Amino acid sequence: MTDLLPLPVALPLAVAALLLLTSKLLPGRIPDIVATLTALAVLALTSAMTLVGQASPLVYWFGHWTPRGDLVLGIGFVASEADAAIAAFIALLFAATFVFAWGYFADIRAFFHVLMLLFLAAMEGFCLTHDLFNLFVWFEVMSVTAFALTAYRLEASSLEGALNFTVTNSLASFLMLSGIGLLYLRAGTLDFGALAQSIAATPHDPVEVGAFCLLATALLIKGAMVPFQFWLADAHAVAPSPVSVIFSGAMVPLALFGIAKLYWEIFAPAPAVRALMGTLLAGMGAASAILGGAACLQQRHIKRLLAFSTISHMGILLIGIALLSPRGIGGMLAYFVGHGLVKGALFMIAGILLATLAGIDEIGLRGRGRDIWPAGIALAVAGVLLGGAPVGLLDEGARLIDTAASESGDGWVVVAIVIGTACTGGAVLRAGGRIFLGLGETPGEEKVAPSEEESEKANRPLWLMLIPVSLLLILALLIGGDNVGRRAVRAAARFIAWDGGASLGHLATPMTVPTAAPPHPFVPWLTIGLSLLIAAHDLSRAQLPRRWIAFSDRYLGPLLKALDGMHDGLVGDYVAWIVIGLALFSLSFAVIGS
Amino acid sequence: MTLLPWAVAAWLFGIGIYGIITSRHYVHLIACLAIVQSSTYVLLLSVGYRWGAVAPIYYDHPPGTPAVDPVVQALVLTDIVVGATVTALLLALALQVHKRRGTLDPEKLRPLHR
Repeated sequence: MTDLLPLPVALPLAVAALLLLTSKLLPGRIPDIVATLTALAVLALTSAMTLVGQASPLVYWFGHWTPRGDLVLGIGFVASEADAAIAAFIALLFAATFVFAWGYFADIRAFFHVLMLLFLAAMEGFCLTHDLFNLFVWFEVMSVTAFALTAYRLEASSLEGALNFTVTNSLASFLMLSGIGLLYLRAGTLDFGALAQSIAATPHDPVEVGAFCLLATALLIKGAMVPFQFWLADAHAVAPSPVSVIFSGAMVPLALFGIAKLYWEIFAPAPAVRALMGTLLAGMGAASAILGGAACLQQRHIKRLLAFSTISHMGILLIGIALLSPRGIGGMLAYFVGHGLVKGALFMIAGILLATLAGIDEIGLRGRGRDIWPAGIALAVAGVLLGGAPVGLLDEGARLIDTAASESGDGWVVVAIVIGTACTGGAVLRAGGRIFLGLGETPGEEKVAPSEEESEKANRPLWLMLIPVSLLLILALLIGGDNVGRRAVRAAARFIAWDGGASLGHLATPMTVPTAAPPHPFVPWLTIGLSLLIAAHDLSRAQLPRRWIAFSDRYLGPLLKALDGMHDGLVGDYVAWIVIGLALFSLSFAVIGS
Repeated sequence: MTLLPWAVAAWLFGIGIYGIITSRHYVHLIACLAIVQSSTYVLLLSVGYRWGAVAPIYYDHPPGTPAVDPVVQALVLTDIVVGATVTALLLALALQVHKRRGTLDPEKLRPLHR
């Protein structure tokens, strides 16, 4: 099994090269079939690794450059249960997306598949690598393919969104590289295990903490946390919907998983980094959950709405990481997969709207979805899951994070979880009610859509597009429950104990985490109730008392408008916010240091 | 080790960021991004530099001669390749934007016409 460890990366890379070579010769659907099969093969490989990685982590050294004593010169791949499980989920999402995009990109031949396979290879590499510079390379490959995929349509909007995306995320790569340089200056090595040893020897070195700040900022930009979140809405709204599925379901949460990896595999011995994670990152997560949810409610462009909901849910994911406990990480793992399944399905439904109804504006599409009612049912299921209904994997993740938070005395985060979840669920259910049931009439002036006419190619039957949607939703519904939660926590405990020292053979004993009842069993009911209430409120605005509408417009309106106005699409402003975020990091570091 | 390379790296980073924030033309903005990237080259090279050491090529030096760190030089090479890719992609995007909208002023180009 160990010798197969590079295959999840090598296989898509090789297939991508072959497809590119033969793209002129291959007829019609062959690239679709080959790409789907490749993703399924990667899924099979990584699932097998998930099973094998339970006993002990798999370690592979490229070119057999095994370490001599504690001296590491080679580049290693390490997979324990948690890494392999995330890698397997990403492969599954790619396979579903390839089916969803069947024939959609036929006019650019195999280029879409080539880029997507590169994207897949980069993400698998990011999950498995155990070398900091190697991590940077996968991060870069991921970015560059994402830039190209965003701009693929070559329309004015998608080009502008892609420009913002490219500039901000390139800055992230530069920050990451600077962080790697600083860390190498102190440690003289790039292997995670050897770096951790060096940090443990000098846990109070400010240069190393500075390196962490740069690395974390880079990953937070990619992970779209407040105040680095601005690029995400622009890029997700304009990217083709199969690409948005991967962005929201895999790329953005993977960056945050990277923070968890860096912390537990390298920086855990440094007390200043621990303090930064517990305060600043938890705060950023909570702020993202609430602000993302509030901005989500203001959107009428469905893909933009889903993009803000991603920011909100990623905030909750980051809280799980910032709690620094096996249960928190276990919750993060469950939340990662649960969110990816639901959000992937939702972006596919947005794609169905674009293909069959040739529109993406919630108000413009009011009542026009009746002919494609099966998509409406899928949207309702996804909205209820997103809104915190007490079933399925997403809910299990939220429960674990909530439990871990009250264990570590951070019970306040439940407020952020409730607000974020209720706002995003409410927004999705509102959009569903408007498009598929024709509810929520609006006065004339709002009928004009603020965005340009958009549509995607309508060359696929509805049932073909609904297959991957239902598959993802069924998985999101059926996986879940205490059993899965316990497994996630166990995998997280092993990830924490094993992954860092795996390259040098230092495996600690995993912590046994006792099961605990969730501290707020009513929370899922509260959030789903709030979601339905928000949806009902927004849909029945015309019937509500005038005085209430005037009241909420006067006091809430300007605040929400200011929040939306910050996302002004101006790349200079976005970069200024990145600088402010960096300053925030330095300030917190200074406060903690003194 | 002197402070000069660190100061140069910080200066390049700062001036590049300032340029991006205030830029009114995308080609100028892309050049500023390249300047920010050059700060990482300077930083990495100064990390691996040793006074009085030779280049890490042992063809005409006996083994054991002090040499500068080859690892960071490999990193910088990779970084340059990445930079070339990103700059080329950005310039291609800017060209396409100019074809469609006839301007490259970020103020006038906003996704979804916000």
